[in-house]
Parts: sequence; structure tokens; C-alpha cells
Amino acid sequence: MSALTFRGTVTYLIYRQLAKSFVSLVSTIGDIVQYGLYTLKYLFSGGVKRKELLDQCARFGVSSLPITLSIVGMSVVIVAMQVAGEMVKQGAGNFVGMLIAILVVREDGIIMSGFAIISMIGSSLASELATMRVTEQIDAIEVLKVNPIEYLFVPRVLSGILMMPPVLVVSSLVGIVGGGIASHLASGLSYKAYFDSVWNGLYMKDMNVALLKAVVFGFTIALISCTCGYTATGGARGVGQATTKAVVWSFMAMVVWDLIFALIFFF
Amino acid sequence: MGIEVKNLVKSFDENVVIDHLSFSVNRGETLAIIGFSGSGKSTVLKLICGLIPKDSGEIITSGDIAMVFQYSALIDSLNVYDNIAFALHERKDLRKKYTEPQIKSIVREKLALVGLAGIENKFPSELSGGMQKRVSFARAIVTEPDIILYDEPTAGLDPMSSTLIENYIVRLKEQTNAASIVVTHQMSTITRTADQVLMLYGGKCVFFGTPEELCRQDTPYTKQFVSASLEGPMKLNN
Ligand SMILES: Nc1ncnc2c1ncn2[C@@H]1O[C@H](COP(=O)(O)OP(=O)(O)O)[C@@H](O)[C@H]1O
Ligand SMILES: [Mg+2]
Repeated sequence: MSALTFRGTVTYLIYRQLAKSFVSLVSTIGDIVQYGLYTLKYLFSGGVKRKELLDQCARFGVSSLPITLSIVGMSVVIVAMQVAGEMVKQGAGNFVGMLIAILVVREDGIIMSGFAIISMIGSSLASELATMRVTEQIDAIEVLKVNPIEYLFVPRVLSGILMMPPVLVVSSLVGIVGGGIASHLASGLSYKAYFDSVWNGLYMKDMNVALLKAVVFGFTIALISCTCGYTATGGARGVGQATTKAVVWSFMAMVVWDLIFALIFFF
Repeated sequence: MGIEVKNLVKSFDENVVIDHLSFSVNRGETLAIIGFSGSGKSTVLKLICGLIPKDSGEIITSGDIAMVFQYSALIDSLNVYDNIAFALHERKDLRKKYTEPQIKSIVREKLALVGLAGIENKFPSELSGGMQKRVSFARAIVTEPDIILYDEPTAGLDPMSSTLIENYIVRLKEQTNAASIVVTHQMSTITRTADQVLMLYGGKCVFFGTPEELCRQDTPYTKQFVSASLEGPMKLNN
């Protein structure tokens, strides 16, 4: 079979598509690493404007709270409702609080906050920067000899690092309290029994790891979202694609980080 | 000496967009670059101001370069004042040079120059297309550039707004003595602002001369361009 006829076959088209996907996968990872390093460099070398940082922090940490609290709170309430009744029936009512505390601190709090932040903040960072890209606003910044990474990435990524831990703490507290209320309503478990048990489930190590995760996730989500927006091409469609890419990649990165943390700290 | 371009080549993948192009623009002079859509006009400007890398050739420029973008490209999260003051607030070498009251008076002066005094607190989305364009002029000249590049400054504007913009281009050239390049395909813009005209086709220069020479239509290219004819040496979507 000559090369010419091979180029027309379905097999060739499938391989070509796979090769293209692989190249774009590698180049996306390359972009994220490259812009991540630039961002860290400017983060430590240059200053960041206080007003811009405060604006971004308010956006990341405050405007997202209603969604984050609802998602974390509801997910814990649902688990508590289903588990509390059964555990009380089996005589394990004293362990409900402990179970919920471990669940929230180790996984549910950070993963659910991450979902909320990605869908709300990640998507908005990506579409903002992508729009600036396709309307040549980023080109204009460059021509005015202002470094766009320093101007756009640094305050946004820093706000992710700074705000994810408080978001996690507040939403975890709301989750644990919500779990108590749900257990009480669902099974008649007393608040005292629940919260006494919560204390037994709060390990210092778990909480430290959770805060470290929050810092890493906040950095990763903001960085990936900014990178996907910054590298957008095309018009309105490019903005849409960049936003989707930011959300998908942030989810993937979060899950991979979570696995890495689990392997390092809990095995 | 303002801008000198020698044997410039730029391709995107297989597509050779700029093919051994050479020209120069002196200070106080305006060159119009004309040609059909897709002929590489914006690419020339982006190469000159360094937004995209060249493949080969030489671009020699002296001093600060400013660019006025086709769709203004004002930063939409900033108001007019912060847009115009952007370079003075954010550029490393200018950040500490002026106090805020000084910046205020510079912004006021540039806004007055484009006939828009007193709109400092408006946001870009609250302005008409022509006003956005004029604000982007003010933003571009805030650093007193030696070279000003305009990408289709009058495209999509009504005839009177076009004339207004053309007058500002001429006035800016006279006040700053900058070397300017105006990318356009509008005859009024060519005749009102340009000292020289360069016509691009297939990445090459197919005409270079004064606006009067262009209007004489004594080459197949100038004849086709000025009469906007589909018949001639140039084909769309080449
Ligand atoms: N970033 C890019 N990637 C690939 N092709 C491009 C890019 N920018 C421009 N081109 C191509 O270069 C050619 C010239 O584009 P451009 O300079 O924008 O033309 P003009 O401004 O004269 O309308 C077009 O064919 C366009 O498709
Ligand atoms: Mg163009």
C-alpha cells in the first residue's frame, strides 16, 4: 500500500486525530507550566497592586460564597440524613458526628468547594481573559509595554492562593453544622451527642492537609483558568471553548492533586 | 529615521503572508498601507510593534511605538481615565515617574486633544464606536510615541466620524512629528492622511507612490483598487 492511499484510510484519520489530541494535550500542559512559572516569578519579584488584589479576592472568596456554602452544605446534609438514622438504629449514634467531621475535613469540604469555585470563578476568569484576548485587549496591554502575565495572572492567581483556605474553612463549618441539624431532624440525635462526637473526628493532621490542599487547589484552579483564557483563539466560539477547557482541566487537575495528596499523606 | 523594514518575511504554517517586503517611513511622515482583506496589512503592523515574531528580514524602529487597534481594544473593566493612564500607572519605567495629579492633567490634555473633555469616568461600553476609537487614540499617545500605527482607524464609522478621525491623525502627526502608518482601504483616509501609499498583494508591494499617483490609476493594480473592480490582476481569497 503506497503512502498516498494510506492517507485516505479511516485508520490514518484515526491516528491523525489521536496524534493531534496528544499534541494539544502536551502543549496545554506546557502552557500551564510555563505561565505558572512566570506567575510565580513575578509574584516573588514584583509587587502586586493592593486594590487589584482586593478586587480579585472579593471576587474569588466573597462572591462565590453563596454557591460554595450551598453545595458543601447540601452534600453534607444529604449524607447525614441517610446515614444518621441507620447508625442510630444500630446503636452507633455516638459516631455520627465523627463520621461527618472526617468526611468533611478529608474530602467533601475541599472537593465540593473546588467544584463550586471552578464552576463559578474558574469559568469567569477564563471567559474574561479569553474575551480580552479575542478583542485584542491583551495585545493592547503588550503594546503599551505592560507585562500581561504580571498585570492579569498575578493578582488572580494570588487571590486563589489566599482565598481558597478561608472559603474551605467557612464551608466546612457550615457543612458540619448542617450535618448536625440534618442528623437531629432525621434521627432525633441530640446536638450534644453529635458535636461531642465531631471533636473526636477532627484530627490536626487532617486539617493541616486540608488547608494545604486548599492553597494548592486555589493556585491550580486560578492558574489553569487564566491560562486557558489567555491562550484562547478565534472569536465568540474561542471564548466558549476556552471556558469549557478551563473547567474540564481544572476538574481533572483537582482530582489528580487529590489522589496525589491521598497517596502522600494517608498511605 | 522612523521605521525601516527590509526583506521582511512572515508565514503562518505554509501560508506566506508577508513576502520580502521593504519600505521605510520617516519622522513626520504618514504611510498608508492598502490592500484587500487578508492581504497581510494587520500582520505588518503586528510585526512592527513586536506582537508577533518575524521569520526573517529586518525591522528597525526608533523610539516608542504606539498602536491604535481596529476595534479600539480598550480594557473594558477600566474607565476612560484608567485606560488612558494605563501605561503611566502600570509600565515599569513610567510607574513612579508621575504623581497622580500630573497624570490627571496629562489625561485631561490628551482627552481634550481628541475632543472628548470630561468623560474620564465613563466606561468603554458606555461610549459610541467613534468615541471609543478617539479614546484609544488618547491612550496610544499618552507616552508621546515616536511611531504611531493605526489599524483601519476609520473602518465601520460614518463619513463624518471618519473625517473627524482623519483630522486627528493629521493633527497628531503635526504635533508629535511621529512616523505613522495607517492601514486602511478607505479612499478618503488615504487622500486626507497619507504622504505615501503602499499597496500589498500576496505579501508583496505591488504599488508604492503618492495618493495622487494612486488616483491616476495608471497601473493595473491601482486601477483595480481605485475602481474596486473584480476584474484585474488581484483576486480575492488568493
Ligand atoms: N495568527 C494567525 N494565524 C494564522 N494565520 C493568520 C494569523 N493572523 C493572520 N493570519 C492570516 O494571514 C493573512 C493576513 O491577515 P491580516 O494581516 O489580518 O490581513 P488584513 O489585515 O490585510 O485583512 C490572512 O490570510 C490570515 O488568515
Ligand atoms: Mg486587518
